[in-house]
Amino acid sequence: MPLLGTLVLLFLVLMLGVGTGVIPGIVIWIGGVLLANIAIVRFVVAATAVLLFTIPTAFVIIFLELKVIAFMNLRIGPNRVGPWGTLASVVHGLKVLSKEDFTPTGADVTVFTLAPVVTFVGSVMAFMVLPFGPGLFGVDFNVGLLYFFGVGGLGVVGLLMAGWSSFNKYSLLGGLRSAAQMVSYEIPLTLSVVGVIMLAGTMSLNGIVQAQSGSFLDWFVVRQPLAFLVFFIAATAEANRTPFDLTEADSEIVAGFATEYSGMRFGFFFFAEYVNVFLLSGLAVVLFFGGWTAPVPWPWPVHVLLAPGELGLALLALVIVVPVVGSALFALPLWMLRSEWPFWRAWILGLGLFSALAVGALGIYLLINLDALLGIVWFFAKAYVFVFTFVWMRATLPRVRIDQLMGLAWKWLLPAALVNLFLTALAILVVHP
Amino acid sequence: MSFVPGIGIVKGMALTLRRFFEPKVTVQYPEQVPEIPPRHRGRLQLLYDEYGALKCETCFQCAMACPIECIDMGGTDTKDRFHVHWGAAEQYAERREEQALRRSGRPVPDPNFAAFDRADTTRLDALLEQEEHDPRRLLPILEGTQEIYGYIPVAAVKHISTATGIWYAEVYGTASFYGQLRLELPAAHRLGICRCPSCSLFGGGAVRAAFEDELGVPLGGTTPDGSVALATDDCHGENAGTPWVTLDGRPQRDMTAAGAVRLAQSLAGHAPAGRA
Repeated sequence: MPLLGTLVLLFLVLMLGVGTGVIPGIVIWIGGVLLANIAIVRFVVAATAVLLFTIPTAFVIIFLELKVIAFMNLRIGPNRVGPWGTLASVVHGLKVLSKEDFTPTGADVTVFTLAPVVTFVGSVMAFMVLPFGPGLFGVDFNVGLLYFFGVGGLGVVGLLMAGWSSFNKYSLLGGLRSAAQMVSYEIPLTLSVVGVIMLAGTMSLNGIVQAQSGSFLDWFVVRQPLAFLVFFIAATAEANRTPFDLTEADSEIVAGFATEYSGMRFGFFFFAEYVNVFLLSGLAVVLFFGGWTAPVPWPWPVHVLLAPGELGLALLALVIVVPVVGSALFALPLWMLRSEWPFWRAWILGLGLFSALAVGALGIYLLINLDALLGIVWFFAKAYVFVFTFVWMRATLPRVRIDQLMGLAWKWLLPAALVNLFLTALAILVVHP
Repeated sequence: MSFVPGIGIVKGMALTLRRFFEPKVTVQYPEQVPEIPPRHRGRLQLLYDEYGALKCETCFQCAMACPIECIDMGGTDTKDRFHVHWGAAEQYAERREEQALRRSGRPVPDPNFAAFDRADTTRLDALLEQEEHDPRRLLPILEGTQEIYGYIPVAAVKHISTATGIWYAEVYGTASFYGQLRLELPAAHRLGICRCPSCSLFGGGAVRAAFEDELGVPLGGTTPDGSVALATDDCHGENAGTPWVTLDGRPQRDMTAAGAVRLAQSLAGHAPAGRA
């Protein structure tokens, strides 16, 4: 009774508000304020979306890592939680959440608490400039790439903070080791991209993708193979992935900067690591593999004449009639073939078949008509190829020594990046004097 | 090819990618039970068959295979005649204790277990000293032992094994291999029966059956009191129209089934000294 009364009261208030024009007024006012500050709204929406997006991404990559490495070891891997063990990584996350959050005595509590946040925020903020599809990006900076590397560098600060504040000499050594590695590899990573910037003429990631539109022959990997190689190796080191995962080196040395961390704070470091994997895969796709553009452009333009808005009342009739007719179309032959079935069973099966067909058709319709959807599909397909490659490398390659790591960065990658830079400049001078 | 830089990385990546698509070796244990080969021995333990007899044949193969000689075992040999034992009982006495085995969840040992009689080893020690405790002179040692005791007691086998360092199973195997070496006291009398076709045609089978019935042991056996051993012999063609029977090497002429019964009755019950 109280529930019904409340509902009636709310309905009356709503009617009254609409009748007197108060509620439309409020709605229009809010809309106006939002429209006036569209940049802020866009930023907030994008930040929330990106923050929410990192969670499934990290879970998917952790699951991929468990499953792919298991398959490459001729094992089966997680298969108990969820279908094919897909929920294993979620359960990992819940387990980490339920663990004790421990702070060692003598630790610098503020810095100790902030360190995982800084690492994680660095990764999330870099997402803001990554174009997922045409028009699907947080902010289209004209210095997007610079921003990307700048914010990505926050990760090093976080690791250093974690190492410093743990009040543990091994943590400090681990933090400094990580910082040395990541700072060293920032240089070839950044330099390898300069050639791409020169070719595209912009540092906006969206602009770089548009500069590669066309077929796969327009992708920058064709014109900058050396840069891609340097970028990929440096990105592996930057994301702390095997064979350059000396920052935590699970199986060999003390976990480095994360030694004193437990529970979700520890989880955040690894969350950030897996987000970083996707981030750098996405960046590799954007810079060298044409981002959200299709490898081969659709050879003939598609114009679907049917615009749903133009149908008017007929649309309503269509929505009501088509499912019934479609279901019947599938159900009746089934019922005739399987006469021992009750009619409702055939009908449910027919409805299911029709629904599958309708969803497929709707998906194709949307893919053809919405560039953004097609772009997202292409972007994720390409990005996950790189994610797979990172996992694949982890299953294959042994870890390098710290001196080999440093030697590779300074003696090989840096000169290679510089050579690539000068060659690109020379080529631009020759072709477009 | 191996001079191309980075070819090793490519090869490794190709290997893992191939593995990615290969069938997996994991057996989902609680759901799928793997097919275990019939000769698989997952755990070493003594098993008893459904009649309560020990299944272990005391072949010592497990003890010989054990690299650190930690297997300590005892039992009877295949003919169920002798108690044989492997390993230093002193060292592992606690483990052989019945309660310890019960606690460990293993079957308790043979209830018929009885420790062998200790033998006086002064003369054996002298013999071993004379043979310089040399494992390569095992046969002379065993023959000397038989001269000392009249047979080779289990205690002597164990003593030889300890003194020379030869594995118990090897001493036992050597002693049981050679025909002239005995592991038990000889019977007081030895009845020999020839089983050649000629003797059989002249009624050897009836004589043999009479001996077996009267003495209660099959051919090749010894009466439980140790008075008579029934063995095979060879007439070498010397039978003169009657079955060839010898008593302690002396031929018994004109033997018939009735005579065999009389002979057996006269021999039975004269156990030699020293036999239980």
